[in-house]
Amino acid sequence: MPDWLRWLEELVEGATANIKLVDQALTGLEGSYVELLTVLSLGLLAVIPVVVPVKRRQFYRHLNQIFGICIFVFVVFTCLGVFGMIRNFHRGINEIGRENIIALYYCSVPVTVLVTSMLFGPSFCGWICPTGALQEFSYLILKGFHRKRKRDGYPYSRKMLALVLSVAVVFMLWMAYLSATRVFFVEDASIYWSEILVILLFVLLWKMREWDGKLRRLRVLSFWVIVASAVAALRITSPVHFGFSKVYDPASVLATVMVFLAALAVPHVWCRYLCPWREAIAWAARHSVRRLVTDFDKCIHCGKCTEVCGVDAVVEGRIDHHECHFCFRCVDACPTGAIEVRDQWRREPCGSDCRSCSSAR
Amino acid sequence: MEEGTLRFRLQVLLLGALGAAGTARAADTLWPGPRGGSGGTATCRWNSKTKPPQLRQWHYESKHNRRYKMGLAVWASPAIVLTGGRPTVFIGGYDQTMHALDLADKEVLWRKITNGEIAGPPAVGLVGGRQTVFWGSADRHVYAYYADSRGDFDGRQAWPPTELVPPSNTQADASLSAPLLLDGRLYITCFVYDKAFSRSRQKGWLFCLDQNTGRAIWKREVSQGPVSHPMGRMIGGRATVFVCARKGLLQAYDVSGASPGQLWTYQMPHEVMGSPVVEEQGDRPLVFLGSKFGNLHAVDAASGEPVWKRMSGNWIDNTACIGEVDGVRHVFVGSHDYNVYAYEASTGRLRWKRHLGGEVYSAPSYFVYGGRPQVAVAALDNHLYVLDADTGKVTTSYYTGTPIWDKVAKGETLWGSSAVFEAGEETVIVHGSFDDFVYVYPVSQAKDCELRTKVQSPATLWWGLLITLGVFGGIILPIVLRIPERQPQNDRNG
Repeated sequence: MPDWLRWLEELVEGATANIKLVDQALTGLEGSYVELLTVLSLGLLAVIPVVVPVKRRQFYRHLNQIFGICIFVFVVFTCLGVFGMIRNFHRGINEIGRENIIALYYCSVPVTVLVTSMLFGPSFCGWICPTGALQEFSYLILKGFHRKRKRDGYPYSRKMLALVLSVAVVFMLWMAYLSATRVFFVEDASIYWSEILVILLFVLLWKMREWDGKLRRLRVLSFWVIVASAVAALRITSPVHFGFSKVYDPASVLATVMVFLAALAVPHVWCRYLCPWREAIAWAARHSVRRLVTDFDKCIHCGKCTEVCGVDAVVEGRIDHHECHFCFRCVDACPTGAIEVRDQWRREPCGSDCRSCSSAR
Repeated sequence: MEEGTLRFRLQVLLLGALGAAGTARAADTLWPGPRGGSGGTATCRWNSKTKPPQLRQWHYESKHNRRYKMGLAVWASPAIVLTGGRPTVFIGGYDQTMHALDLADKEVLWRKITNGEIAGPPAVGLVGGRQTVFWGSADRHVYAYYADSRGDFDGRQAWPPTELVPPSNTQADASLSAPLLLDGRLYITCFVYDKAFSRSRQKGWLFCLDQNTGRAIWKREVSQGPVSHPMGRMIGGRATVFVCARKGLLQAYDVSGASPGQLWTYQMPHEVMGSPVVEEQGDRPLVFLGSKFGNLHAVDAASGEPVWKRMSGNWIDNTACIGEVDGVRHVFVGSHDYNVYAYEASTGRLRWKRHLGGEVYSAPSYFVYGGRPQVAVAALDNHLYVLDADTGKVTTSYYTGTPIWDKVAKGETLWGSSAVFEAGEETVIVHGSFDDFVYVYPVSQAKDCELRTKVQSPATLWWGLLITLGVFGGIILPIVLRIPERQPQNDRNG
């Protein structure tokens, strides 16, 4: 191994080792309060979207995301990898009645995320999730390029091809290095997710406009694969997992870098097509109290909301709630205030064509 | 030929045959400390020129109905000895029982139940010339039973259990170490948290017992908290015992006389979960000890002067072991940063480090197989690895069972490590696993072992990526594209 590569690796190892502010995870009744702290922090971060001033809301959102990343890196231990949350949730449910403290340890974070999603909408995705935040910061680097590409209907371009090829080359070279120096097991499956991400980039290079909606179905498959692996007690590590555990995990580092790079080519590519939690949170937030509502009488069809949405969940005021991340970019961008955040503790019946209201009646 | 001469010749012939038979049988061996010898290799070697008995894989389960208690080791480390020419394992655990297992016949020789969990490995020494197994239990007693299998004394008590600390209503469970047998005496450490006293008035003791009678000779307070297993050897003609307090104070005692004399102390930078190991050879050996600060310290055993220290990426919470590679002594240690490290014992130069699939919680065992030095370690990815001690390359690995409490009590409990019976092609690794089984894994690839796992080689890794490409591109993607698109979930207003 060349010296500079060894130096680089030791730098990454050193940067990710022993950085937890709290020294140990919850250990039974005598344990620390890491998970309690995590739950409180998450609850706080989930409430911030509600109380934050409307003016400069996007600034506060990014601040919140940075806080989110810090909390996961410095406080949370093993619960918050996108795959780990599902696996640990399953494990925690199994422990209820036997080891309730352990059950609390494993269930606390996923339950907090789901409950806050049911109440406040999918704000976890738009305001807290570290994987989502990484992709968003990546998106901001090439914001102009992405907006132009969206306006043009996601056409094939040489620039895009160069970007995708670069991502693929990074993946292949890194894999070659890792395969020669590390031991891999089935648990290191995040590399396969990374590979699928790279394959998807090539597909999206040509067919993003036509296949975008269909490919989003992959999230459901991703979710059930992780559930199945949880039941089979397979410990699959996920992207950004290395930030939560106290050790340098090369497969997870690679997967994280791939998520970041892939999001340079296609905004929020992980959230759109592969994230299992995005699907779970969308289900939980299906009937959330907080919702985005468009007043079409005010809408002037300027297309601003469509332009700013990173996940293509808004088309001229029509919001797909299953895809919405609750980032409120469309709300802040709307020149007439047609899209607004509304708390609906009690739902008013609407027109006869609404299926949910007619069934309620 | 005269009748007397003939009888004499017959007698010589008979004695010769008996002698030959006697030398053919493997000599009985001892296990004087927590990890065998003071170097912590945790290996018992077949010492006869005859072929060792055939050893196969074995999954031994202790049938009991005791509820698992959090923070306790399911199984402690085993001790392996040759008794009556047969490899025998002694292992205890949270089932409060010491098990004597015959590796060749795969049967239980005896079980001895105590009134407390057995957290440390036993030691095997001699009482009245007979092999005897000694261990400490959380019931505050030290036990001694004859170990010789299938003999008249098989499993009989050598001396009545010796109570180390008298009971009181305010005491919590006792924490007894593994015994150390040195110079005809038995050394063991003991800590009992007493709720009647403040934390600063708790006492961790080093006890010295007569190995033949179990009578307590002396005791010495060595800490205000838990204490490591004692480790020791003869240095410069005097028996020296090393212990380390959980709080990190490494101490050396001259125990040759009627009472112990402290030789030196050395403060480690953080908590210490493991035990010191000492070079088995040389007049000025080094003591090696890792701490939860993450560094391995080498200290001069005679003076207590630090010689070198090396940093790993995370906790070192178990004992190191010392072995020889290319004629140079090396010290091997596992860390919670997923790595096993091999340092040159005299200089601390890093020979190799190997990244494994999980935190390396176990103490390494050193043995020789196929003419090459090997190291066996268990990691928190539920695998037990065998590494080439020369290069650090993983030669084989085994699945050791699912941990019961996994990461939760990580670093709080010293879990059991493996020990090795080294006998050429019959070499086996014995490991008490989290899933209640004691596993005996043959090292030879030619032997059946269903729990042997394949570490992904670079080739299989690339095959995996290729298969993923095929499955995703050829099956999943076409199916997903055929499913009708989901209608956007719009609100009534939008």
